[in-house]
Amino acid sequence: MQGSSRRAGTMTDVHRRFLQLLMTHGVLEEWEVRRLQNHCYKVHDRNATVDKLEDFINNINSVLESLYIEIKKGITEDDGRPIYALVNLATTSVSKMATDFAENELDLFRKALELIVDSETGFASSTNILNLVDQLKGKKMRKKEAEQVLQKFVQSKWLIEKEGEFTLHGRAILEMEQFIRETYPDAVKICNICHSLLIQGQSCETCGIRMHLPCVAKYFQSTSEPRCPHCNDFWPHDIPEVFDPEKEREAGISKSSRKSLRTRQH
Amino acid sequence: MPRGQKSKLRAREKRRQARAKNALEEEGSPDPLCECPHQAVPDAGMSTPPNIQQGAHYTFSHTYENTGAQNQDEKNSDDSDDLEAWSKDPINHKVVLLVQFLMEKYHKKEVFTKADMLKCVLKTSKTAFTEILKRATEHMELAFGVDLKEVDPIRHCYALFNKLEHTFDAVKGDEKMPNTGLLMMVLGVIFKKNNCASEKEVWEVLNMMGVHANRKHFIYGEPKKVITEDLVKLKYLEYRKVPNSNPPSFEFTWGSRAQAEISKMKILEFWAKIHDATPDTFVPLYEIAVKDEEERAQARSAARARTAAMASSHSKAMVSSSSHAK
Repeated sequence: MQGSSRRAGTMTDVHRRFLQLLMTHGVLEEWEVRRLQNHCYKVHDRNATVDKLEDFINNINSVLESLYIEIKKGITEDDGRPIYALVNLATTSVSKMATDFAENELDLFRKALELIVDSETGFASSTNILNLVDQLKGKKMRKKEAEQVLQKFVQSKWLIEKEGEFTLHGRAILEMEQFIRETYPDAVKICNICHSLLIQGQSCETCGIRMHLPCVAKYFQSTSEPRCPHCNDFWPHDIPEVFDPEKEREAGISKSSRKSLRTRQH
Repeated sequence: MPRGQKSKLRAREKRRQARAKNALEEEGSPDPLCECPHQAVPDAGMSTPPNIQQGAHYTFSHTYENTGAQNQDEKNSDDSDDLEAWSKDPINHKVVLLVQFLMEKYHKKEVFTKADMLKCVLKTSKTAFTEILKRATEHMELAFGVDLKEVDPIRHCYALFNKLEHTFDAVKGDEKMPNTGLLMMVLGVIFKKNNCASEKEVWEVLNMMGVHANRKHFIYGEPKKVITEDLVKLKYLEYRKVPNSNPPSFEFTWGSRAQAEISKMKILEFWAKIHDATPDTFVPLYEIAVKDEEERAQARSAARARTAAMASSHSKAMVSSSSHAK
């Protein structure tokens, strides 16, 4: 799959429209991306067969390569949903956010990011973040204000909040993985299975290796006795379920059943 | 704080400052951009877009040529040549920066000046900037279908226009631009009144639709501000004082952006929908709208021909320069 030869693709209005709309949304889940793709075909090329999504995106990416931009696919760390974002690869800072936030707000984000990356669980408590408010660059920010800024980050999908603690949204990981790995080389954690940046996950209590929840789900899918891939010790945590888009659609009919699927993983 | 944490933080700060200093000092050297390796390729559950091998860059012309038959070997030898050319030409680094600037402005629907553009590609000579702007504009057209146009020649203001048809699409059911409906209504009034409508005439119609100047609207917020300020700023409407009017009165005309992006037929369709009629009911206007559609279709095919010619002329240049690489 990775070795497939890639050729410089052709951009048509279908692809351009798709790009424009993806840019507007920032980050999308896979089902939304498919809907977007179908919409673009309907608008510009009604009679054509819709390309397989992977090929469609690879095509666009081969054209965007020289601009250091890419449509990147990732999965959410908590429940393994596939997400897509248009990512700037030349990032050496939190530049995508720089246009939407003030200097002191960006610095608050950086402080929260540092706490999150340093933490054991991948979560930083609201209290710890707010205690750093005095150290921010730019205009002085009060704690009350900082609370609201944190909520802004949650609304624009850079952070996720869970019970008063904050972690990175899948979007932030997609956009900033490279930056995070370069800036915090000592503190970053890597998943043993997929070798990508890990913020939330499970770890082996014996040898310390870590795995993303969706990677755990896939790796131990049909095993009755899950064992650590590194030291072979018994894996002590609950094994989450593999994300199934079909099940998701059925569950979506009643919101309450969707909630129960998620809470089971913790 | 646990032992060692403070020194870790100090080392981190030092690294950050050093990097910030380098970023300011460096001038067109492509090194930071070469630092974008994709670390080990993820497998289970995470498919990635094609690998960007360290240092494999494509020149602009290479990406837009339509050569489906090119095989992997040819590509690799071309890559190394392109890499040489690319890293030796510091202009391309700035083209990338300018494209990112333009993308952001398009996303925010903001107007900007030439000075703004120059600021984002610091330390550039005038001649180099012309070339950088040219390449960036071509990228925006070919990759995104977005046009750069000067909207105010006196103050050198620019904006980005969507070249593609059907600008106003609502994908999720909630429109990304909530003021679309209001704009369509005002444009309709203007169109009906022979392309120039007085403010009084506009409000007469809007009042019938339940939109009032001095009342907050549950979708449009402050309608007066939207049509006299926001949509004017975005160049969708023009709002000007009627000459020699005392007490002063104002009138509306279509803005340059509306003329570029919205067809008269679309307005008629919108009005027809509201009145539960078909566009051809509005007889004199219908003829005008049909003619407008024809002109737009002609302009579109001319633009497409130009785009195709641009792409093929670049591929020709590629072929002649890479013929030795094989």
